[in-house]
Amino acid sequence: MAILDEPIKGVATLQNYIDGSWEDSEGPLRDVVNPATLKTIARVPISTKSELRRAVEAAQAAYPDWRRTPPLARVRCLFRLKELLEQNFEELSRIQTMEHGKTIDESRGETRRGIEMVEVATGIPSLMMGQTLEDVSSGIDEYLIRQPLGVFGIIGPYNFPFMVPLWFAPFAVATGNTIVLKPSSEDPLSQIHIAELAEEAGIPAGVWNVVNGGREVVDGMLSDPDIKGICFVGSTPVGRDVIYKRCGETGKRVISQCGAKNFALVMPDADIPKTIATCMTSFFGNAGQRCLANSNLVVVGQGMSADEHEAFYQQIAEAFVASASKISMGYGLDESIQMGPLRDVEKKRRVMSYIEQAEREGGQLLLDGRTPKLMGDYPTDAFLGPTVFGKVSPDMAIAREEVFGPVAALMKATDMNEAIEMIHANPFGNAASIFTSNGKWARDFQYRVECGNIGVNIGLVAPMAFFPFSGMKDSFFGTLHGQGQEVIRFFTESKVVIQRWF
Amino acid sequence: MEEQTVTAASVITFCGLLEDGAAALYEELARRFPAYGEQATAFAKECRKSKLLVLRTYQETITDAIEAGYAFGGLRLGDPLFGVALDEGMSAAEALGQASALEAAAAAFYVDIADRSQALLATIPGAFRRAGRTHAQRLQRLESLPR
Repeated sequence: MAILDEPIKGVATLQNYIDGSWEDSEGPLRDVVNPATLKTIARVPISTKSELRRAVEAAQAAYPDWRRTPPLARVRCLFRLKELLEQNFEELSRIQTMEHGKTIDESRGETRRGIEMVEVATGIPSLMMGQTLEDVSSGIDEYLIRQPLGVFGIIGPYNFPFMVPLWFAPFAVATGNTIVLKPSSEDPLSQIHIAELAEEAGIPAGVWNVVNGGREVVDGMLSDPDIKGICFVGSTPVGRDVIYKRCGETGKRVISQCGAKNFALVMPDADIPKTIATCMTSFFGNAGQRCLANSNLVVVGQGMSADEHEAFYQQIAEAFVASASKISMGYGLDESIQMGPLRDVEKKRRVMSYIEQAEREGGQLLLDGRTPKLMGDYPTDAFLGPTVFGKVSPDMAIAREEVFGPVAALMKATDMNEAIEMIHANPFGNAASIFTSNGKWARDFQYRVECGNIGVNIGLVAPMAFFPFSGMKDSFFGTLHGQGQEVIRFFTESKVVIQRWF
Repeated sequence: MEEQTVTAASVITFCGLLEDGAAALYEELARRFPAYGEQATAFAKECRKSKLLVLRTYQETITDAIEAGYAFGGLRLGDPLFGVALDEGMSAAEALGQASALEAAAAAFYVDIADRSQALLATIPGAFRRAGRTHAQRLQRLESLPR
């Protein structure tokens, strides 16, 4: 199939967006590489702390006026931004495919999810309302007001370069705060384009700032006293040991959404063809680089004899491998592609090391993706095909740790209790799914499992913009989650007024 | 020959090409056979509307969580539906016959993809059904035209 036109031509050097101006950085440049073609598509600056500081000062200076801007006027900027995002829907989607490697369907899906965040944030005049109660005592009324706090830092991950910063940015701005956003330096292009659209939408100078960079910018955000809170999505070691800890030390609010190891249970009464179809997206979508990706498929033999359980497991394993082996791979701008490359060669190496370790630990390699066959003539360096291990035990590394690649571990559990124990023995608690036709099993699962996002016959439990993106245990550090009402509470302080007139 | 996988993206692109092809056929028909000009121009406009309907529905409902890459397993997208340029020297009756064949094939195609996309958000099969109905109704109108 023909390759869609690439929106990025040439190799531009990206700029920072500070106080309504596009500025060159003094920092060194790093190549942004399209992982499917290995061509450099941009150069991103690794900005300095002083550049970050200027952005924070701009955001701080813009805050008083922005806070006083009526919510209706603030959201009119967001309505215009939403419209501009719609007009640029296809270009933004293709940019994501070029900078990240995901398929065009996945990129368009990500664009839609991101726009939905802006749509929900436009409801701020209602969503941000406080509460009032008359006569809490004789002639005394009490009410709660939600007030913005100031400047927030947003640190984006590489796996959803367009959508994840939008889990926070439109809500922060709609509630009257100002932001400094650091996109992933691996794939910053879509955030740069969003900032251009934010400027075009008339969001005032200093309200929405973008500073490209790496650790120095993150460190600067964490230590800057003018930043009231941090929103971070990334790995657990960084999210827990750096972001959460430092925010605690400096008294910042924090949403730190981290790693995952998600289990999917297949019960004996599951609709197998539909379950397997759903699993393909869940296990291998975005080349497995999702904190909501399922990676452990547990075949549960509830009420079955050992022989029946083994036969059921074999049936699932065969169907799973048969589907996974048909997944087409290549450049995501080819619309017939179902899976793109990993974000870069180093990430592929890391996933490969998990595959090698699983082999050493005795895993049964049912499908080996290490020699991927691509549609089209592209370098295979960053590509890794779907890989499936059978008879995986919970103590193996691929069953315990976040692989973040297209590797599935098939496991067995004699009943749901054993399967839930497996989930609970794992330190992560982002998502878990059950495939069943039995309402009681589904309800028990939902009730008992200590994970933030639960799927019943859903493989990819991605909460909509008006619900919080939940997470527990080592998958989340903080109190309030991103998206929905929780993120509005995160971005506002509750002030209580008790009033009496003599 | 390697089997082509069919994703939601490729189906939507195919629908766009189909509608563009049909619109082009009607525009050509209107140009060559002025007696049918008004009707054929209206048909071309309908085709462009259907293209927009399908594209808009896809863009407004696709999310990263739906099984967009796997919804159309087994479907084969050929190209005969939109290879429909009118031959030189064709009579009006022959041209209308060619249009009827296109409409019948397009209506059947939309029914097929609507059935296959039941697992996606309801508006997607809904849009396919609506586009298919338009083709089916146009087929009836074509067949009632005086030749």
